[in-house]
Amino acid sequence: MDPLKQLAFDQHVILRLPSGNRKIVQLKPNSSISLGKFGAFHVNDIVGYPLGTTFEIYYDGTHEPDLKNQNRIPVGKIRLLSRTENETGEREQSPLPAELANVLSSANNQKLVNLGNDVQGLSMAQIEDLKNQTASGEEIIAKMIENHGSFDKKTVYSQEKYLKRKKQKFSKFFTAEYLSSSAMLQFLLEKGDVQRVMDMSQESLGMLLNLANIRSNGTYLCVDETGGLLVYFLLERMFGGASEAGATAIGGGTIVVVHENEHPNLDLLKFSNYPESFLKDHIKTVSLLDFFEPPSSQQVEAAFTPLPKDQVRSLKAGKKNAYYRRLKWYNNQRQIITLANETEYDALVIASTLHLPQLVQRLSTRVHGSRPVVCYSQYKETLLELAHALYDDLRFLAPTILETRCRPYQTVRGKLHPLMTMHGGGGYLLWAHRVIPAAEPAI
Amino acid sequence: MSVFSEYKDCIAEGDLVLVWISRDNIKPIKVDSNEVFNTRYGSFPHEMMIGKPYGSQIAIRTKGTNKFAFIHVLQPTPELWTLSLPHRTQIVYTPDSSYIMERLNCSPRTRAVEAGTGSGSFSHAFARTVGHLYSYEFHQPRYEEALREFKEHGLVDIDKNVTITHRDVCRDGFRIRNGDVTSHLFGENETEVAVGADVVFLDLPAPWDAIPHLEDVISKDEKVGLCCFSPCIEQVDKTIEVLNRYGWSDLQMVEIQGKQFESRRQMVRTLDDAIERLRDVKRRKNEGLERRKRMCDSLLNDQPEADETVEKRPITEKTKFNPFGKGARVKEGDANYKWKQVTKVEPEIKSHTSYLTFAFKVANQIRNEEAIQRILESSESK
Repeated sequence: MDPLKQLAFDQHVILRLPSGNRKIVQLKPNSSISLGKFGAFHVNDIVGYPLGTTFEIYYDGTHEPDLKNQNRIPVGKIRLLSRTENETGEREQSPLPAELANVLSSANNQKLVNLGNDVQGLSMAQIEDLKNQTASGEEIIAKMIENHGSFDKKTVYSQEKYLKRKKQKFSKFFTAEYLSSSAMLQFLLEKGDVQRVMDMSQESLGMLLNLANIRSNGTYLCVDETGGLLVYFLLERMFGGASEAGATAIGGGTIVVVHENEHPNLDLLKFSNYPESFLKDHIKTVSLLDFFEPPSSQQVEAAFTPLPKDQVRSLKAGKKNAYYRRLKWYNNQRQIITLANETEYDALVIASTLHLPQLVQRLSTRVHGSRPVVCYSQYKETLLELAHALYDDLRFLAPTILETRCRPYQTVRGKLHPLMTMHGGGGYLLWAHRVIPAAEPAI
Repeated sequence: MSVFSEYKDCIAEGDLVLVWISRDNIKPIKVDSNEVFNTRYGSFPHEMMIGKPYGSQIAIRTKGTNKFAFIHVLQPTPELWTLSLPHRTQIVYTPDSSYIMERLNCSPRTRAVEAGTGSGSFSHAFARTVGHLYSYEFHQPRYEEALREFKEHGLVDIDKNVTITHRDVCRDGFRIRNGDVTSHLFGENETEVAVGADVVFLDLPAPWDAIPHLEDVISKDEKVGLCCFSPCIEQVDKTIEVLNRYGWSDLQMVEIQGKQFESRRQMVRTLDDAIERLRDVKRRKNEGLERRKRMCDSLLNDQPEADETVEKRPITEKTKFNPFGKGARVKEGDANYKWKQVTKVEPEIKSHTSYLTFAFKVANQIRNEEAIQRILESSESK
């Protein structure tokens, strides 16, 4: 089983619910996952199916009620949502959805009077009862249409909208998707973490990855203030996931993350499915202080000298631990020296609220000629200031401020139009190339 | 590794480099020590580039006018190539191509199908990122041109991750068999290429004719993503119909709008300064008026003793209060004035490139029950 293609145990995946909401879950063996009003299911029932499969939760009356906790959502059974049913109302609607095939509709809404809740013959309590009988979403919706006082006065368009709304509420299906970087961004935006992710958008990040020429074999210098989201975008573009523990990366590239606090914050990577060792091999972290004021080789060598292997083996247990701690420190210091003084980076990628002209100009000294510098900002003004600073610095070629926006459409035949509302953010990018100025030639 | 897949340090004889003359003038050249690169600003011998690190500025003094002229020599990237490339057709620009690649989750694990190749702009971006690209072009001269170019760029023979095939996919589908006109070199017992694509990009006038053929080449055990690139909304409508019929789901059409901004400066001109300037003008006007009045008066009164007191024409001070440099030519950003940094959107924007219709498909929604059972049992026994 390939966890990049199929749902695998212990993997983090993202579930899409009928309401359009998303939820990140881990597929622990022998456990169950509750989706609130959309039901609950056993993880073992879905593992092994391809990522992207849509499942329906159904109850055939055989589930055992939880006597201790009445409010607990009972765990249902799983079946695949067959393709003809796999229509959320947003998709093809000609011919009519089956639910509307045998009901009357009106050419216009002339006779439709707004009666509020009274038009529905079923009371709230009756609907709740239906739900408790764990009747399927379709049954509930069919009953509601049957008991609707003026359903036949609605136009067919309005009926479709009604159906879509009720499906979002009463259907019990979900799609288990691969947790891509874009899916994680989408999840965070919907959750309301807009400020944390600096109002990024999929299109801006996609553009950043291309403009920065991110490949699997590069060494990239990165400042990421989003808690690891930007790093996750880079990782996914570079390697596309690690199929098994101990898998070696295609290309062998590295991301060097420079951080402003004493310790790096890459918390979001805990949802990624890369093994710990993989992340350690391909992500290096250095604080801003260490990057700009690295220790000298002499200092490090004077403080510690690694012992030959056989000598280490003969150390006593307590001493051995102390030795390994020191060795770790030593290797870390040597790494800092290399990353700060020797490595020439293949791109500089920044999403930070630090003052950009200083940050970009100072970090760029370590960027190789002809390599891109790409900076994301939520605000155009901070990039404008940066652009002017880089114009006056001959080490940067053609700094350009870019904006990209995606406009989604209602995608239904005969009813194509841009969505009425969309997310307004997305930020801006600055793109330049690091170059090496020549001295003015003598006459 | 090719010039597109390797990070090169220094410029060497035979390298394909991009010479940056200005934003809208980027020229690809092959470095040849016997050649000279000519611009209207001067001539740059390739010899001057060899051995220099990529990104170097090359500066010369022009012989006649003795002016300072320079170019930058860059290593090609797909995005720079898109800005410089010879257009054989309308091309897919970076705002669109980068969005498509991100939305379809492209990575080295991706196996992508692209039809048609066109000018090869998107092909270069795909080739940089994906594991393998199968590109199809139905126009014979364009196929040959693209094949030559891909070979020259090392995508076919060196990186070996691009296969280009001469094919009308709408009529003849996507399968690549031994004997077809293709860059693929068949092994001895190989009769057909196992494409197994999980990403499909269709830039065709009638994608609905190609969609039914996709079954032959898409991966069956995983989710496959598709994007159709069509300029007209009628094409989108027809595409949706066919996608639905062939079991594609999660359809969504989007438009991408990319914009570039120029960084400019606008002079800070305060109300106070404007009033002060008017005040200054008025004061000088009054001075003139009074002088004239006095001269007039003395003439009328005919007072000869005034001879000594007759005002000499006062020397008008040359520069009065002129806070905005009126009448002078002020360069944007002149340090003698105050400036506000502003952005200006590029004079012409690409207001419509194409509609992007995305769809997804999981062909075989099955699982290996035995394998799941085995995993569960082995984890229990631990």
